[in-house]
Amino acid sequence: MSKLNETDIQGFVLRGYNLPFARHLFLHFEDSARARKFIFELLDQITTGQRWDHGKPESTLNIAFTHRGLVALDLPTATLLSFPVEFQEGMKRRAEILGDTGASDPTKWDELWQKDGIHSWLGISAVSPEALDARSAQLQSLMSETNGATLLGSQDAASLFFDGKPCNKEHFGFTDGFGNPDYLGVDRDSQPGQGKLMPDGTWQRLATGELLLGYADEAGELPPAPVPHLLASNGTFMVYRKLHQNVATFRAYLDSQAANYGGGKEKLAAKFIGRWRDGTPLELSPDQPDQSIVMDPARSTNFTYANDPSGTRCPIGAHVRRVHPRDAFGFNGKLIDRRRITRRGLPYGKAALENEPITDSDERGVIFIALNASLVRQFEFIQQQWINYGNDAHQGNDKDILMGNHGGKGRFVVQGDTNLANPPLVCSHLPNFVELRGGDYFFLPSITALGMIGMDLVDPR
Amino acid sequence: MSNINGKVYAMNCVTPMKPWKTPILRLIFFLLWHIKSKQQDLINLSFIEFARWVIVPKTQFPYLGNRQHKEQLQYDYLLFFSNFNGTWNQYIDAFSAVLSTGLNLIWRWSEKFPGAVPITPFKTYIAQVQFDTDYYYTAYPYATANDLKAAHIVQASLDQLSQRVDTDNPDQFAEHYLQFVLQVQAHLGVTGAAPLC
Amino acid sequence: MPNQNGKLYGLTFLAPIIDDQKATPSHDLQIRAYLATLPTDQNSPFAKAPSTHLCRLVVMDDVVFVGHPAHEEHLKSKYLIFETNCDSDATDYLTGLAKTIPQQLDAIWSHCVGYPGAANLSEFLSYMKACQLKTTFFFAAVNDKSLPESLRALATQRAVVDFIADHQGMDPGRLQSEFKQFLAELKACPIPEPGAMAPLRNIKTGGRNE
Repeated sequence: MSKLNETDIQGFVLRGYNLPFARHLFLHFEDSARARKFIFELLDQITTGQRWDHGKPESTLNIAFTHRGLVALDLPTATLLSFPVEFQEGMKRRAEILGDTGASDPTKWDELWQKDGIHSWLGISAVSPEALDARSAQLQSLMSETNGATLLGSQDAASLFFDGKPCNKEHFGFTDGFGNPDYLGVDRDSQPGQGKLMPDGTWQRLATGELLLGYADEAGELPPAPVPHLLASNGTFMVYRKLHQNVATFRAYLDSQAANYGGGKEKLAAKFIGRWRDGTPLELSPDQPDQSIVMDPARSTNFTYANDPSGTRCPIGAHVRRVHPRDAFGFNGKLIDRRRITRRGLPYGKAALENEPITDSDERGVIFIALNASLVRQFEFIQQQWINYGNDAHQGNDKDILMGNHGGKGRFVVQGDTNLANPPLVCSHLPNFVELRGGDYFFLPSITALGMIGMDLVDPR
Repeated sequence: MSNINGKVYAMNCVTPMKPWKTPILRLIFFLLWHIKSKQQDLINLSFIEFARWVIVPKTQFPYLGNRQHKEQLQYDYLLFFSNFNGTWNQYIDAFSAVLSTGLNLIWRWSEKFPGAVPITPFKTYIAQVQFDTDYYYTAYPYATANDLKAAHIVQASLDQLSQRVDTDNPDQFAEHYLQFVLQVQAHLGVTGAAPLC
Repeated sequence: MPNQNGKLYGLTFLAPIIDDQKATPSHDLQIRAYLATLPTDQNSPFAKAPSTHLCRLVVMDDVVFVGHPAHEEHLKSKYLIFETNCDSDATDYLTGLAKTIPQQLDAIWSHCVGYPGAANLSEFLSYMKACQLKTTFFFAAVNDKSLPESLRALATQRAVVDFIADHQGMDPGRLQSEFKQFLAELKACPIPEPGAMAPLRNIKTGGRNE
């Protein structure tokens, strides 16, 4: 395949920046001409996929648009209609499909997301809060100068800091950040377990077209994409979801269930997710965490479920097993190659120590961001079929314990064996540990496409 | 009028075949029927409740006289009826990904079949030859093929355990009960409504 | 035996629909209108008649022209397709329908050529046999369990999960006696109604598929 032109692809797509601070700005365009000028002025500030040969920058900047944003920019009708249906509808209208009902219903979202004014996302990542503020201020003044956009709201996110040091944990205490897929042409060290499984048991990079538009995907073709091709190529679709975490409820639930579980609290927590809280995969180390596995890229994501069909090591409904089934559906894993997503995103809210008194209403959660070439086939499928439903995993209607919309009635089965430290357990009356507070679908264009938009040169032919 | 009832989808397809190709397809179905291993992939895909193919030769559309006009056709027709779990896209994606050889073997004899890979022309063809269901009934709308299989495993294990309940002492029973739980623990997903599409 | 897989039967019927220019609306549209209002849940006639796992009724307007170089051709009649997956062979199954739901059968098939009515069983059976197509290949995921067995197993599974969840860590004596009680209750429970959606929460059925 042809080599990727990293200067044309937004860096956010190709790599996690590993910068500990982020700010997400949400913009509204009043006037299409002024908005296009603003975008054009912004163009050489957008961080591309080029390697940082001189060390990390102080801050990075990336941009994306909702469909109504593209409408507000006055793109040609034929182009607007060529975008996928789910992107045109936006995430709010897809709420019932995604299971965003009850506690996650749009009427419960933050006000920013309840209104339908968001046209654009600007994502800033930075080395420090000062760098973050500096960049925000600079963007604000550009907005005022060009009168090209108004700021509707912003959301900060940051790595959790313990003892003044950032770490990879999220608020429930689990180490996050494993398992982003490897793609052909994307210059990132591949790790066994991240790509697609081959019949001989090795792992290979996924087709580029699973992440980027304009490239062959895993179905053996150039998938349909918005027109003109130049607008879509090297772009991707981004899912943004503000997931509030009910940390107090989670801790209480884990404690109450652990009282009935022979393996103890930490093991039960591991059974929920499929990894110990330090990141050790249960499949590789079912009895205790093992940092040596976590720190070894050749091992930390290198496992399959072939030797664990009954789920006695890693429960069949555990979170990582649901969202990345690997070979669990048979056929050498081929059924899941087109169901992968790349995750970015950071927690938001202040870290809470283990015994610190907290409440569910404290602002804590994760800004969940996913990148994929097809929203309906990738993110939406996982959310609808694997998170809020269980048939593919042979778990009936049972939802994912961590992210499922349980409404107090959920159930999770920990499969076990005759070992007293690994007994079976049925967890019932699952509450919502996670609630959606807002979000939407965005199109993240290439640098070329941004130029076309800025210069009003989009022609659908 | 819907193709969907609960967790199951009714797909109907009709494709034309040049009559000289029909005996080849009959042979393929014959082999598929008698070589059980070839059906294993179909079984492992586990989201089909029932499926059938019906070859209707051009002279064998039912003719009942009574002012009905007799059909005069050039092609034989292959009817396909499937009852599957999941969405239309999910179903076709799965077949194209892992059973394309089998699909090609059955449908290559139908006119203008583009092959099961790549996916987009294949989906276009299916959409063209698919016609909609007027009435769809299922006795268990809240259960998929997987749910049914799980239910039968649980029933069988329960029946086994019930034979113990009168003869065991409590400690023996507790041991057999644990064995029972271990047998059924992977098959306890609750059944209910389908996700909204 | 192509119509059969294990204990399950896959029966296919194609009934030519009356073509009467003077009928308004036409017979195929009348069938469609009737089917549109027929319940598909526990009130379905097929829930009342025995042995149907899944079935469908489809008005086939015509064959499909797949495009050049294939030839364009058309059926001279429309056909009513009846595809059923059931526990009994054609004779027993059709007899069951004729005995339990003759009104609904007549309402649908009276629009088809040569339909004698369900009242005269032997004529009804001959008619349906004349409309029966031989299923070329029939696949059934679960092919060894009758409908009542499947409905019972589904109810059992649901009850068992609840039992296991409610009896964790219980002392053996109590567990055993409560299990005995559970078995008795399960036995006394009627088989769930065929066609009914299990009562769990607010249900959204069907709708256009993506």
